[in-house]
Amino acid sequence: MVNIPVLTVEKLNKRFFLHEQETFIPSCDDVNLTVNNKEMTALVGPTGCGKSSVLKCIYRTYLPRGGRILYHAEDGHTTDLAQASDHRILELRKRGIGFVTQFLHCLPRKATLDVVGEPLLVRGEKKAAARDAAADILRLLNVPERLWHVPPATFSGGEKQRVNLARGLISRPRLLLLDEPTASLDPATTERVIELLSAIKAKGVAMLAVFHHPELVRRLADRVVELTPQGAEFQETEEKIQ
Amino acid sequence: MKKILGVKNLGKIHGSGCPRCLESTGPDAGSNICSHCSSVVAAANISFDLHAGEVLGIMGESGSGKSTIVKMLFFDEEPSLGEAVFFDDERQWDLFSVNAAEQRWLRNHRFGIVYQNPHLGLNFNFSAGGNIAERLLMSDLAHYGQIRERARDLLTRTEVMPERMDESPKKFSGGMQQRVQIAKALSTSPPVLFLDEVTTGLDLSVQARILDLILEIQQELGTAMIAVTHDLGVIRLLATRTIVMKNGRIIEAGLTDQILEDPQHAYTQQLVASAL
Repeated sequence: MVNIPVLTVEKLNKRFFLHEQETFIPSCDDVNLTVNNKEMTALVGPTGCGKSSVLKCIYRTYLPRGGRILYHAEDGHTTDLAQASDHRILELRKRGIGFVTQFLHCLPRKATLDVVGEPLLVRGEKKAAARDAAADILRLLNVPERLWHVPPATFSGGEKQRVNLARGLISRPRLLLLDEPTASLDPATTERVIELLSAIKAKGVAMLAVFHHPELVRRLADRVVELTPQGAEFQETEEKIQ
Repeated sequence: MKKILGVKNLGKIHGSGCPRCLESTGPDAGSNICSHCSSVVAAANISFDLHAGEVLGIMGESGSGKSTIVKMLFFDEEPSLGEAVFFDDERQWDLFSVNAAEQRWLRNHRFGIVYQNPHLGLNFNFSAGGNIAERLLMSDLAHYGQIRERARDLLTRTEVMPERMDESPKKFSGGMQQRVQIAKALSTSPPVLFLDEVTTGLDLSVQARILDLILEIQQELGTAMIAVTHDLGVIRLLATRTIVMKNGRIIEAGLTDQILEDPQHAYTQQLVASAL
């Protein structure tokens, strides 16, 4: 069966204008990519080439300056995320698009279980159900149970990253944006995350990920988009190595 | 989520007003005082929608007109321009053409407000419980036992010790007074709650607990809220969407994370850059 596109990005362009300094900061230009269901597209390229900006434009944390970001919903309806209303974007963030950011941002007084369960609370699920689901996913990600009831503020980089991943995965999005999800994980946990991402990919989730390690790209990605500071060049990985 | 409030071209002018008030004020003019007639254009061209269950932040410096918006919507001030429609379960209310009795009914049943100054929201001659009872009485609940029971529940929910419900709020700390205000506002389970600088002037730890409480309640009850604040931290914590105001006008509106990470307007960039 042919995999169907969940996201098509066409000629995406982003730059910042800093009023105080009266300067334009180029971010990314002419980015074209496709993310299909059951597939991962990897964004690679040197630091500063705009990989994270592409993810943020898709999620509307950044306002894209030009181009189209087409999200194809299950019912066949297509939304241009570059033009969609804020409310439409919020709806899709609740059910549809998930984002695992590079760093965990959360309240320093909120227990891990609640940090992870929050996306479910936001869409109206009960606190107990959200906590149960959070416990399941934390267990899956090897976060020790003794940490569940304390805030992640004092956690190690790797533990925080797993909490962040758990938070991104809990709402079971159709399209998952991942910004270096294994950057500070030890080899064993990285392995666990690779398994987990492979498993949710097989279930049909479409993923767009920023990675620095070629090894991860080789193992997880079905397509690779290389960004250069000038723009993006599209290339497909030759063969997926299992 | 469905639209619960639609505001179009809302404006408030203090003074006689003249045909050139709007063009001679605003962020481009750098002032909200009309250079022709000296009227103060506290707010103008304010348009936005509020959806059920969402928190909209209104951010801006003192005098930017943010509180004026809430005051007009809660009937504390009469608007000079524009319209606002409240989409209730059963009917639509054109807020600025309802009569005084309907205004009172809406204030008591369908809207709630928490002011920065607890003196505005509470009667200090009544006990904490009495303040809640007053609102409940106006919303048709008349049984003494039931009212007391409900007041006790609400105060417990907002973490005010119920054994102090018979004391006047004037004996309470600033944080507790805000909690009583929140309990009072929520007593009739309104679908819309206005928050006007509710944590300004409180200790940081008290602020955090009040904001956590508001967020919990919002998630539990799905109350739509408009939160007016000059505090970026409050915006970040509470609001999913944010409006930025300057000199009585909206200069920027968007998702809160976008406003904070990719602000477009020079003033918003300046605000975000000055965060501590």
